[in-house]
Amino acid sequence: MKAGRVALFAPMAMLIAAFAVAIGGLIWGSFTKGGVGLYADLLSDQVVLRVLWRTVWISALTTLFCVVLAYPLALFLARSKHRNLWLILVISPWLVSIVVRTFGWMVLLGNRGVVNMTLRDLGLIDAPIRMLFTPTAVLIGLTHVFLPFVVIAILSSLLQQDRRLEEASRILGGTRWQTFRRVTLPLSMPGVIGGASLVLLMATGAIVTPLLLGGLRDRMLGTQIYTEIFQVFNFERATAMAVMLLVVALVLVAPLRLLEARIRQTQEGV
Amino acid sequence: MGLSPATRIIAVLLLILLPAPLIIVIGASFSPRAVLAFPPPGFSWRWYLEFLGSTAWITAFAQSAVIAIVAAVVTTIIAVLAALALDRAPARLRSAAETAILAPLLFPHAAIGIAFLGWLSMLHLNGGFIGVLMAHLILCAPFAYRPIAVSLRQIDRSLTEAATILGAEPRQTLTRVVLPLLRPGIAASLLFSFIISFDEVTVTMFLTGPQFTTLPVSIYTHIHDSADPVVAAISSVLILLTAGLVLLIDRLVGLRIFIDIEEEGRHAPA
Repeated sequence: MKAGRVALFAPMAMLIAAFAVAIGGLIWGSFTKGGVGLYADLLSDQVVLRVLWRTVWISALTTLFCVVLAYPLALFLARSKHRNLWLILVISPWLVSIVVRTFGWMVLLGNRGVVNMTLRDLGLIDAPIRMLFTPTAVLIGLTHVFLPFVVIAILSSLLQQDRRLEEASRILGGTRWQTFRRVTLPLSMPGVIGGASLVLLMATGAIVTPLLLGGLRDRMLGTQIYTEIFQVFNFERATAMAVMLLVVALVLVAPLRLLEARIRQTQEGV
Repeated sequence: MGLSPATRIIAVLLLILLPAPLIIVIGASFSPRAVLAFPPPGFSWRWYLEFLGSTAWITAFAQSAVIAIVAAVVTTIIAVLAALALDRAPARLRSAAETAILAPLLFPHAAIGIAFLGWLSMLHLNGGFIGVLMAHLILCAPFAYRPIAVSLRQIDRSLTEAATILGAEPRQTLTRVVLPLLRPGIAASLLFSFIISFDEVTVTMFLTGPQFTTLPVSIYTHIHDSADPVVAAISSVLILLTAGLVLLIDRLVGLRIFIDIEEEGRHAPA
């Protein structure tokens, strides 16, 4: 039986090993080929530092927007009788390729795009407002791309809640806001944090959306890596930046993970 | 508990905004002129015909489809075997193995792309079918494993016990009881993996080459140079294909599976 289990798991173990070798090789290679000097170069490069900082704040803001917007939608879905119908509207865009969704925003936000043309036809503007190739466009695009992840995460934890707790709060005289603040929100925090860490992680590693909506000027780490590979052909620098990206993602997500562990502890203690 | 009007307004706005860029793309694809505009200045199938008449696009589409089908079938088989291996395994071993299976979800995609690029170049598999397939198998594994694990956990143990008591061999119990009950999980796993592989671009764009490319990567490259309506036409095909798959998932297993998987993910230690 034991041997049988091992054999059944062997193919999956091979995938896990292949992934571990790839990531391990990346980190190892960045030190053996580039060396510590390469990291020192990168960290003293003003351009790289600016890219690093932009990656952090764009990812953090994207995560914030996603959580703030996803919560009301998840609440609405959790209470709706036609949840399945609305879920189709959330899940279908979620599963369409990021390239296609980003392309949609290019059509919307371009100088001759839908938004500018509509504003012009309404007589509100004379010259097009520059929206594409700005950090704002990147924020809008990334928020749109990652929003469904957070909606599903929060919805899942809302659906698990015992509705009688909310009823009890209302019967005991709590207002709608108090009930939300003291009962619904704390109980859904695992979903909020789970969704937020996922978005934070994916936003730091995004390439396509920041490249197509932000252009080559307002780079993020992902787009910088892409440029190093395809335009500068500097594989060593790209490797070291990829390792930096791993560290940034880890550092950004760590506080959320700690918070999650603490919340789990307190809620299990109740 | 009732929802506040603000919650409702945000929710409804988002339910309109989430699919909006995709609707715009579909609309723009019918433009008779070489300008991307919405609403289109007329109606024509011109760009669809151009797509169908282009060997490069059709090849990319076919290659994407082949990769996605192979990746979906292979990862699903690997995931079923792994789930059976971990079923009733000691809790600690099981959670360690599950963390390893889900590991690709914890790394930023740009870094994964560079990691695979380095590793596959060393094996001289870069720019070809095998390299992309290997990357997709690893990226799909978490999405293939979770629905099957959820399905397996939902199986009523008394059914397998009944089969054993009635004299079924372990193999018979597996093929006559367990596998048929796993059908929803297997269906979800196949569809998820197909979608993940068919849409993937951030990692894949590092691994394609002149001989082998996928549709989303070609779309990306094309948009980067010029965003003409032929991209809108191809994107529309992708959007409709994805929407069709979502409806299929709804029919076969119910959209609830997306929420169950999320719940399962939160219980697994990360």
